[in-house]
Amino acid sequence: MRSLILKDLILNKKFLLWMGLLYFIYVAVFGSRIDNSRVTTFFVTFLCFVMPVMIFTREEKFKGTVLVCSLPATRKQIIMARYVLGWLLMLGFFVLATVAILAVPGSKLGPENLLNARTLIFALVLMALYFAILMPLLVRFGMVGFFVFLISMQVLGFVTLALASQSALKLNIRSSIAAIKNAFISLNSNLGAPAYYALLIVVMIALNLASFACSVSIFKRKDF
Amino acid sequence: MENAIQIKGLRKEYKGFTLKDVSFSLPQGYIMGLVGPNGAGKTTIIKLIMNLVRRKAGEITVLGKDNIGDEAEVKSRIGFVHEAPSFYDDAPLKDIKAAVAHFYKRWDDKLFLALAGEFGLPLDKKFKKLSHGMKMKFSIALALSHDADLLILDEPTSGLDPVFRRELLERLSGLMQDERKSILFSTHITSDLERTADYITFIHDGEIVFSLPKDDIKEKWGIVKGSRALLEAQYRRLFRGIRETSVGVEALTSDIQEARRTFDSDVVIERPSIEEIMVLMDKGEHYA
Repeated sequence: MRSLILKDLILNKKFLLWMGLLYFIYVAVFGSRIDNSRVTTFFVTFLCFVMPVMIFTREEKFKGTVLVCSLPATRKQIIMARYVLGWLLMLGFFVLATVAILAVPGSKLGPENLLNARTLIFALVLMALYFAILMPLLVRFGMVGFFVFLISMQVLGFVTLALASQSALKLNIRSSIAAIKNAFISLNSNLGAPAYYALLIVVMIALNLASFACSVSIFKRKDF
Repeated sequence: MENAIQIKGLRKEYKGFTLKDVSFSLPQGYIMGLVGPNGAGKTTIIKLIMNLVRRKAGEITVLGKDNIGDEAEVKSRIGFVHEAPSFYDDAPLKDIKAAVAHFYKRWDDKLFLALAGEFGLPLDKKFKKLSHGMKMKFSIALALSHDADLLILDEPTSGLDPVFRRELLERLSGLMQDERKSILFSTHITSDLERTADYITFIHDGEIVFSLPKDDIKEKWGIVKGSRALLEAQYRRLFRGIRETSVGVEALTSDIQEARRTFDSDVVIERPSIEEIMVLMDKGEHYA
C-alpha cells in the first residue's frame, strides 16, 4: 500500500503543490469575507474532499489505471491506498485551510471559532459523509458519473425547493428536517458531548468501512 | 518441466466476441509467440493473465501460482508491456520510473539507466512528448529492469523502427540464457516469431487453432500446392486450411509425411513460413 500511495504522490507532486498554493490563497480570501464558522466548515470540507477526487480522476484521464492494475498489488490494496491517501489529503488540506484562515491578516474568524471540538467534529463528519457516499460512485462511474451525481443533487435540491413552496409539502419537509435535528440534539443532551462525539466518529468510521467494502467489490468487477 | 504459464478452459465474453475455452502452456525457459489476426483475442488473453479483465471461466497459473489468488506476488515476477503504454501524460519519465520502481524488490536502477541510455530515452521529458515508439521503448525498459522471471509483451515491436526491433528481439533471446526466464509476446509481425519464438500459439476468432513448438511446425507442417482436385472431400481430412488461387489450390497440412504418401508427385509440397500458415488459417477455408 505504501508503494501505491508513494506512486500517487510522486506522479501528482506538481499538481498538489499548485493546488495547495491556490487553495491557500482562495481559502484565505474566503476567510476574510465570511464570519460564519458553520458555512466556512461546509465550504472548506467540500473543497478538501475535492482534492483526492481530482487526484483519482487524473489517473482516469491519463488512462493510468491499466498501469496501476498491472503493478504488484491486488485490487483491494489499490482501493485501500485510495481511501488512505484520500483521508491523508483531506486532513492535510483541512489543516492548510485552517492555517490560511487563521494566519492571514483580515480573517473574520478566530481560533475560538474554528479550533473547538464541536466545529472540528462537524468538519470530520462532513468529510466522512462526502467521502463515504461519493467514493463508490467515483470508482464505479469515474469522473463523469461523479459530476452527474453532483448535478443530480443540485436538480433534486431545486425540485425539492419548488415542491416545498406548495403548502402541504412545506410542512412535511420542515418537520422532517426538524425531527432529524431534534434527534441529534436529544442524543447529544442524553449522552453528553464526549460520548456523542465518540458515537459520531464511530458511525463515520463504520460508514467509511462500508463504503470501502462497496468500492472494493465494484473495482474487482471492472475490466480495463 | 515447470510451466511459466498454464491456462485451462479460459473463457471471456464480450458483446460480439467470445474467447472460447482457451488452453495452452508455456514451459519455463522458453519464448512463446502469440499470433493471430487483429481482433483474434491475443490482447484479451494477455489482459486475462494480468487480471486486467475478469474471466467468465477457466484457470490461469503463472509461475506455479494462481494469477488472482496470488496476484501481487505473481505480478512482482512479471515484466509487462501493454500494447498502448499509458502513464501520466504530464509526468517526466524519471518520475514515472521512480513511482514504478518502489513496487519491485529486485528493481535495478543501474540497469534501467543503462537501458534508458541505450534506447535514447530523455528522462527529463514528459511522457506525452514521446512518440509511440519511444513510449514503447520506455515501457520495455521498465519491464526489463526488475529481473522479472516472466515477460509478457503485448505487441512490443509495433511502432518500432526495424533496427531497434531487431535489437530488442536479440535482447529478448539473450535473456533466455537464464533458464528461469520465460517470455510470452503477442505480435502480428510473423518475422519476429521466426527469429525468436520457441513455441507458437495461433489464435483465430477467439479460439486456439494450435499451440506447438516452432520446430514441430517447421518439420511437420507443409503447404500442398496442386490442382482443384485437392478440394475433393476425400483429401480434406489432411488439411488445416485451404484456399483457391489463380493457378490452383494451396492447402495447409500438419502432417507433411502423410501428404507426401497420399499425393506422391502430383503436387508440390513446401515448408510453410509462419506468415503463410497465418494467411491460410485466417483467410482460407478451415478444417480440423
